[in-house]
Amino acid sequence: MQATFQQFRDDIDQANDRRERLIKASRDVTNISKKTIFLLHRIVLEDSSDDRALAARAASSARQKLTEANAIFAAMRPELAGDLFWRFQRQVSPGLQEYIEALSFAHYLDPESHGSLISYQQVQDALSDANGPYFPLTTSDYLLGLSDLTGELMRFAISNITRRGGRPKANEICAFVRDCKSDFERFTPHVRDLSKKQYVTASSLEKIETAAYALVVRGSEYDLPPEMLDDLVAQTTSRFGRGDEDHDV
Amino acid sequence: MDPVDLEKLNSLLEHDVGVNEKIKEQVKEFDKKIRIIVGILGKIHSTPSGSMPQLIESVQPVLLSCREITAAIADVIPRDQFWRWKDSWSNSIRAAVFASALIEYLRTGTLISLARVSSEILGIQDEWKDRFSLPVEDYLHGLITMVNELARYSVNAVTLGNFEEPMKISAFVKELFSGFIMLNLKNDSLRRRFDSLKYDLKKVEEVVYDVSLRKLAVPVK
Repeated sequence: MQATFQQFRDDIDQANDRRERLIKASRDVTNISKKTIFLLHRIVLEDSSDDRALAARAASSARQKLTEANAIFAAMRPELAGDLFWRFQRQVSPGLQEYIEALSFAHYLDPESHGSLISYQQVQDALSDANGPYFPLTTSDYLLGLSDLTGELMRFAISNITRRGGRPKANEICAFVRDCKSDFERFTPHVRDLSKKQYVTASSLEKIETAAYALVVRGSEYDLPPEMLDDLVAQTTSRFGRGDEDHDV
Repeated sequence: MDPVDLEKLNSLLEHDVGVNEKIKEQVKEFDKKIRIIVGILGKIHSTPSGSMPQLIESVQPVLLSCREITAAIADVIPRDQFWRWKDSWSNSIRAAVFASALIEYLRTGTLISLARVSSEILGIQDEWKDRFSLPVEDYLHGLITMVNELARYSVNAVTLGNFEEPMKISAFVKELFSGFIMLNLKNDSLRRRFDSLKYDLKKVEEVVYDVSLRKLAVPVK
């Protein structure tokens, strides 16, 4: 009996060690993905006359940053081969969802993708190298990762709203988030935790809607085309915003 | 979302729903069998040792018929997805391990091996490995349930006038405990149940103490 239990101990230890390694790796991926998201927010808010070029640069820098996460995923491949994937899926999920959030944000901002939602296949392709996928992408990780994207878009829309061209952009994002919410709705019975995330999406959506509403109401008091309003605001903010520099003196 | 993509996701999810439903059906049948088995085994506490073989004989066919269930489940699980779905039947399979282990003890006084429960009782085949198997954890859960039951049985055996049984149970359970203590368990339900084993051991020890003090049992050998 001692020998049998010795064998059990080895099996259990091996699984526990693997679990610990995957939890650590997943945490590292989360960390990289969070940094990527901040990076995206930082770049798109830089001053620039060419928003398209800015967005393209943001997307490519983000993808560059995410290659660090890809290296971690590639190293996880042998740990998740065959039936191991589903055994440890719960340990991999948190980092993976964060990664999908960052990836989908970069994808959305990239002018090449024309403001579209990254597809399931595109995510699976991103999680692959020359030897094929690192591991299978589950529909639930895909949907839950995308669901977090709506929160980032809300932040982006609101911090962007006072910039030139920020209002049409905010409206665009508003429509996009609304579409996401309605597309995801049918999946809620099949994906655990999705309904909770839908609730968060709803509140993000409401924040964008409120901001868009305020701008319409205030803008209506001035009988000026939107671009002139932009100029007016830009002039005023630049006069104050750069007080500590010497540009205007 | 692109309509084609939406449709693709939907069909993937629908497929999972289908698998889940088929498993649920089988688990329902599994549980019916388990209830019958556990029901019959409950009678060990009131069965004199002379009639025990007949009682055990009567459980055997039901227990062996669980093979139909394992085969049916293995059939619906997609490749490599064993761990995805196993929670749906883990309670049932733990109960099946419990029954197999208890019967083995009552018949031979020994511990049934994982391999024997898996292949000889439940008919689990090696080539199902990525779709259906008996994990160590579930086997150990089943053994703990058996110890719980044996602690009770040691008391009731005495009531029925079988004074030797508690001695045998004590030796058996102690050896099993020394096996469990070798494991590095993480903080989960198996660990909590293992922690409760000491109360079963104590219960058996008390019976042994009572019986030996009164010189009721003829010493073994």
